[in-house]
Amino acid sequence: MTPPPTNTVAGMIRPVPMPPDSQTNRDLLAVMKGTSPGYWFLLGLALFFMHLAGGIWIWQVYKGLGIAGYAHPVFWGVYVVTFVFWVGIAHAGTLISAILFLFRAKWRNAINRGAEAMTVFAVLTAAQFLGIHVGRIWKSYFILPYPNQRGLWVNFKSPLLWDTFAISTYATISILFLYVGLIPDIAIARDRATGWKKVLYTVLALGWVGNSSQWKAHNRSVLHLSGLATPLVLSVHSVVSWDFAMALVPGWHTTIFAPYFVAGAIFSGFAMVLTLMIPVRRIFGLEAYITDYHFENMSRFILLTSIICGYAYAAEYFMSWYSGVEAEQTAFWLRAFGPYWISTWVMIIFNTVLPQLLWFKKLRVNVPFLFVLSVCINIGMWFERYVIIVGALSREYNPAVWGEFIPSWPEMGILAGSFGFFCTFFLIFLKLFPIVAIAEMKEIAIHEKAHGAQGSH
Amino acid sequence: MAEIDRRNFLKLVGVSAGAAAASGCNDPVQKLIPYVVQPEEITPGIAVIYASTCQECPAGCGLHVRTREGRPIKLEGNPDHPVNRGALCARGQASIGRTYLPDRYPGPMKRQADGGLAPITWEEAHALMAEKAAAAGDGAHVLGGSVGPTLSGVIDQWIAAVGAGGRTVYEPFDFTALKEASRTVFGVASRPRFDLSQADFVIDFGSDFLESWTSPVEHGWQFADARRVDQEGGGTRLVYVGPRLTLTAGNADEWLPAKPGTEGVLALGIARAALDEARGNGADVPDAARLRGILSGFGANSVSTITEVPAATIRKLGKALLAADQPVALPPGVALTSRRATATTSAVLILNAVVGAIGKTVFVVPDGDAADQVASFREMTQLVKRMKAGSISLLLIHDSNPVYSMPGDSGFAAALEKVGFVISTASGPDETSERADLILPDHTPMESWGDHAPRPGVRSLIQPTIRPLFDTRAFGDTLIESAKAMGEATAAQLPSGSFRTVLEEAWSDTDFRAALAAGGVYGEEAAAGTVTLATGVSSLHFKEPRFEGDGSFVLLPVPSPLLADGRSANLPWLQETPDPVMKVTWQSWAEISHASAEALGAEYGDVLAVRTSAGVVELPVVPRGGIRDDVIAISIGQGHNVGFYASRVEDGNPGGTRGVNVISILPALTDESGGRAWLVARAAVRPTGAHRRIPKTQEFDNKRGRQLGESVSLLALAEAAKAAESHGGGNGGGHGESPGDAHGGGHGESHEMRRPFDPADDSTEESEYRWGMAIDLDRCNGCSACIVACSIENNVQTVGEEMVLLDRQMQWLRIERFIGDGYQELVTGRNLPTDHEELGNTDVRHSPMLCQQCGAAPCEPVCPVFATYHNPEGLNGMIYNRCIGTRYCSNNCPYKVRRYNWYDLAIENIHEPMHLLLNPDVTVRGQGVMEKCTFCVQRIENGRQLAKDEKRPIADGEVTPACAQTCPTQAITFGNLKDEKSAASKQADAGEARAYHALHVLNTRPAITYLAKVRRDTEGTEG
Repeated sequence: MTPPPTNTVAGMIRPVPMPPDSQTNRDLLAVMKGTSPGYWFLLGLALFFMHLAGGIWIWQVYKGLGIAGYAHPVFWGVYVVTFVFWVGIAHAGTLISAILFLFRAKWRNAINRGAEAMTVFAVLTAAQFLGIHVGRIWKSYFILPYPNQRGLWVNFKSPLLWDTFAISTYATISILFLYVGLIPDIAIARDRATGWKKVLYTVLALGWVGNSSQWKAHNRSVLHLSGLATPLVLSVHSVVSWDFAMALVPGWHTTIFAPYFVAGAIFSGFAMVLTLMIPVRRIFGLEAYITDYHFENMSRFILLTSIICGYAYAAEYFMSWYSGVEAEQTAFWLRAFGPYWISTWVMIIFNTVLPQLLWFKKLRVNVPFLFVLSVCINIGMWFERYVIIVGALSREYNPAVWGEFIPSWPEMGILAGSFGFFCTFFLIFLKLFPIVAIAEMKEIAIHEKAHGAQGSH
Repeated sequence: MAEIDRRNFLKLVGVSAGAAAASGCNDPVQKLIPYVVQPEEITPGIAVIYASTCQECPAGCGLHVRTREGRPIKLEGNPDHPVNRGALCARGQASIGRTYLPDRYPGPMKRQADGGLAPITWEEAHALMAEKAAAAGDGAHVLGGSVGPTLSGVIDQWIAAVGAGGRTVYEPFDFTALKEASRTVFGVASRPRFDLSQADFVIDFGSDFLESWTSPVEHGWQFADARRVDQEGGGTRLVYVGPRLTLTAGNADEWLPAKPGTEGVLALGIARAALDEARGNGADVPDAARLRGILSGFGANSVSTITEVPAATIRKLGKALLAADQPVALPPGVALTSRRATATTSAVLILNAVVGAIGKTVFVVPDGDAADQVASFREMTQLVKRMKAGSISLLLIHDSNPVYSMPGDSGFAAALEKVGFVISTASGPDETSERADLILPDHTPMESWGDHAPRPGVRSLIQPTIRPLFDTRAFGDTLIESAKAMGEATAAQLPSGSFRTVLEEAWSDTDFRAALAAGGVYGEEAAAGTVTLATGVSSLHFKEPRFEGDGSFVLLPVPSPLLADGRSANLPWLQETPDPVMKVTWQSWAEISHASAEALGAEYGDVLAVRTSAGVVELPVVPRGGIRDDVIAISIGQGHNVGFYASRVEDGNPGGTRGVNVISILPALTDESGGRAWLVARAAVRPTGAHRRIPKTQEFDNKRGRQLGESVSLLALAEAAKAAESHGGGNGGGHGESPGDAHGGGHGESHEMRRPFDPADDSTEESEYRWGMAIDLDRCNGCSACIVACSIENNVQTVGEEMVLLDRQMQWLRIERFIGDGYQELVTGRNLPTDHEELGNTDVRHSPMLCQQCGAAPCEPVCPVFATYHNPEGLNGMIYNRCIGTRYCSNNCPYKVRRYNWYDLAIENIHEPMHLLLNPDVTVRGQGVMEKCTFCVQRIENGRQLAKDEKRPIADGEVTPACAQTCPTQAITFGNLKDEKSAASKQADAGEARAYHALHVLNTRPAITYLAKVRRDTEGTEG
């Protein structure tokens, strides 16, 4: 993808060479030490929203889905939008860990742990929305193909069933990936930890001592997991997109959806990595490990996927016009100029116009700018799903029952709670496990030593 | 305390956990208790049907009350009854709910000093009533609605016995103008009857006969029969005169939005044109010379100036009516009853006489004994005066709610305060009974004995089908008992037995048991007497009516086809059924034209203050194209502040008023003969600046050229038939052929009208059945009876205004209303609900939309758990227990006929004793479950079991879903599509040239074949 930098692997941008091993250990483990009041405040805030959402959800189970803003014929709303949003976020982690690993893009080492953790938490957040969105959560096990005396089986034709499998597979693989990568780092932490943490790390490190046979096994499992995970990056969001593309709803029923959704997912995933890693780097002083070079590479990814998304948007509009199908044309006209025009233009401007600024190298390494941009992209991508789902459903084939959906406060509370859930886990992870892969950073240092300034592979 | 060792601890834990679990798991035990002595006629699980008579309006439709285990659960029309022939309207369907209303009085109640009600016993109640009646003497008065002849007799006897002052029969919608006009024009005391079943040209001067006038069900089937497109000439033509596009106007071929109040002048203008035409072609018109004298001042040009109807149209109509074999002109209904209503109605009767309708379609039969006793409005206002003067000391009010339905400035409510003692027999609270001192609740019609004589020759019986749910007494029995309490002398003047024995005696000239089984005695109707013009005709003055007050709008009070004069407003199904024209539920709205709205600066939903000389109401506006610029229309029926569903009790706001009562701003005025006048007020209208959301279920009537609510012109149909003939293929024939080719290129319409596949193929090969429907949009007039029938049959819950605002109504069936073919309209922004109506345009299509039971149903593959699936007989099964509520099926349904249980409606919306109405054959759906139309699968199963007992297949017509059963026009035909001789197959095939499937381009293979509405012109009867 990106041409290797000219003198070191870490690139010219890195102001200082990689610190020595002991320094790396100290720096990266320091992130896990001590908790500031700010940390507790953030964790408290996240926990508050998480529990708020939990309370709303219990109320919803008791009362019924009516407390959400659903209005006939819009039967999917904020919950499905947020589900797709978090599944999308979850894509960057696997892309970085698996695909970039296979491509030997070494710059990934600095960000992969954060991205993988983000993936796991995002996919867990998303999975909850499958439950939040169904009307009878207490019967939702019906969706699993378990043998039973009543001879009931599930419908393998339904994209929702594919979804169930896609999400559960993806969650399993990403958890495994995260964990396998963590083992050497947990061992480092174990060697320095005391008290209950010592016990925790000892168990989790699985007796890692760092001998060559262990490293060999470790590397092979990472390689194999990458191989397994690579198709998932493409398939999971394709399957999610088929929830829509398989339906005959005007605005959903298009073949472009799978690549369009995958590009959008990677786009939003990278944006979320930036949103998370920029404050982490700043707060914990990790500038030596996560450098502007990493940000620039991510910016390039964002620019590329933004262009793909922009192309997909344009292609959708073109095809609706070119098809000559009145229902499609109307649906897309109303998407841009109808009741949901604000959402549509937020989506277009945030996802395709603003990222074009990344053509400028100065902006690609301008960290505050990147942070703002990444937040904008996150918002834009949420609205993209909102426009696709709510916009399409509100203006379908039968004009007699066109209706409009306005999100209700409970739904927005659960949306906020999903961020609370995600942040809770991310914040706890920060304090329990190294957010930058120590072993892999050392690998780079070794690499630099071995290959000198050229850093060729 | 002794040490607890480990073993004892574990034992204790085990026992307590077990006890906790055991007590926590069990629901309270409910036992099914078998009958100890089983009633002979009741078999659990089998419906017993009783014949009765509908009491919701004076039309008197025959009923079949379907009861299960002693509870009436569904009303159906009595197929043998001459009025309704097995059909029922929406109100009739909903009237079963009166028995189960949650706010019914539990027993007799007495008003306390603090204004509250306290229960008393019937003995005390009768004694109190007797005491007050004795004290009042001729200061006692009976005020009530129109009741059956036997009860009416008992009331009269009671009045005579106790020496009461008199009786006033009060009906808000009276027919004084019609009766007086008949007397004036023909010199006959009669309420003329209009028979549309043979008519070939109908001109309606605003009667709205399909909605609210006299007998809507009867007129519905008559009109539909007369309009059958397969007759020569393509069926009867309908011309509608009136300022507003009503349901009837939308079914017309031509709409003349004449200036309100000038309908009589227009009728005379048309009569004059017909007379001139008759002179021209030598046709014989009786009394021509006298008529010419009466009509001399009504030349087409001068009439055109007054009525704003083009002179050419007037001449054309005169010619067409004269040319027609069976013409009929219908007089104004309630909405157009002006202060000149008798003259207007007389003019319409004169037109009927000129064009030769008398004795063919209009029957002026002397009322004789069957005359209704309804008082004129003038008598009512005199009663109010006497009440005000304090000369009424006891008022007994039955079957009527005058506090609500008397005009605001009549002062009825204030006059009621002056009455010493008020007794009400209302079975549940209404505005009038809230002011009563003593409440002696009557049975509901489902619990009562009674009779009804809707017209000469037709006598119907009312019989109880359930033991009274509460401690109520029949009004007749209350009268008899109170007379007994007054002493033997009084009692002797009344029948000694119960009201039931009185009824049996009254029917002693018939075989009572046979009459009960049949629902009544339907004798030959008296032949039409010949009537000639009376001398009084010449003295009629046909001036334009005056309007009270000032303001730029004429206030048009519209009788609601669902709520009538407000008496049906407490039935939740009628509140939730969208108004057939405006599609608004649970609320009031004002209609003005788009131009008027623009001039006022009011947009959809803006609240208008409508002020007349009698008062002011504030309500949100719905601007529309189908109304004259100088008219503001408000529906009658809402604006109650008492009643569980009629007011806002159900919304958790007792005492709150639902909508506005337009009657409260109508001046109390009469027409020239003393009948109640409605079209009397001018209104000044201004926006208040407030805005309100309107619970409107359909916001857009532009179908954008999509395959929904199709129509085809008569001309195109004829061309298609000709083309098919020249191909030698008939009209496409039976199944299996390609109908696309058979009449390809048919009618040159812009849309394709094809049946590209045969839905009969969509059940398994082994199955004998493929259930399907044919829906003839040319017969559907949009009356919405099917919606209520479906809801009650299938336990479909009403959800209330707040939920309708979110479009969360549960109805499985809706009537979509489109204007014209529509076009691709690309609007911008958050578009407000809008319409494409135009003055004079009657291209309104009503299209019932229910589950299409698709052969390739988009809902089925997307359900992850097979909760919806294709059954062997081609139905889309819906297994409620399996549904987990992903709602994907609804998203993927292009017809959007699936409904979702957002809340546990069975818990939240069924208030006792409403649960007794539930149909035990249909699952009550719980929270989180999708539901939809099943073609009344419980009825199919019932039919299958009956057929299986006799080892035969289900016969055609044996199974009829609730919607098809109640349809007054038989627009819906249900049957087995695999049987080419089934009614549904035959109807679909007969209408081949106008058959289509909704949204067929999506290849969903629906089981419902729609037959397009036919557009007819009125150039002549030849079509």
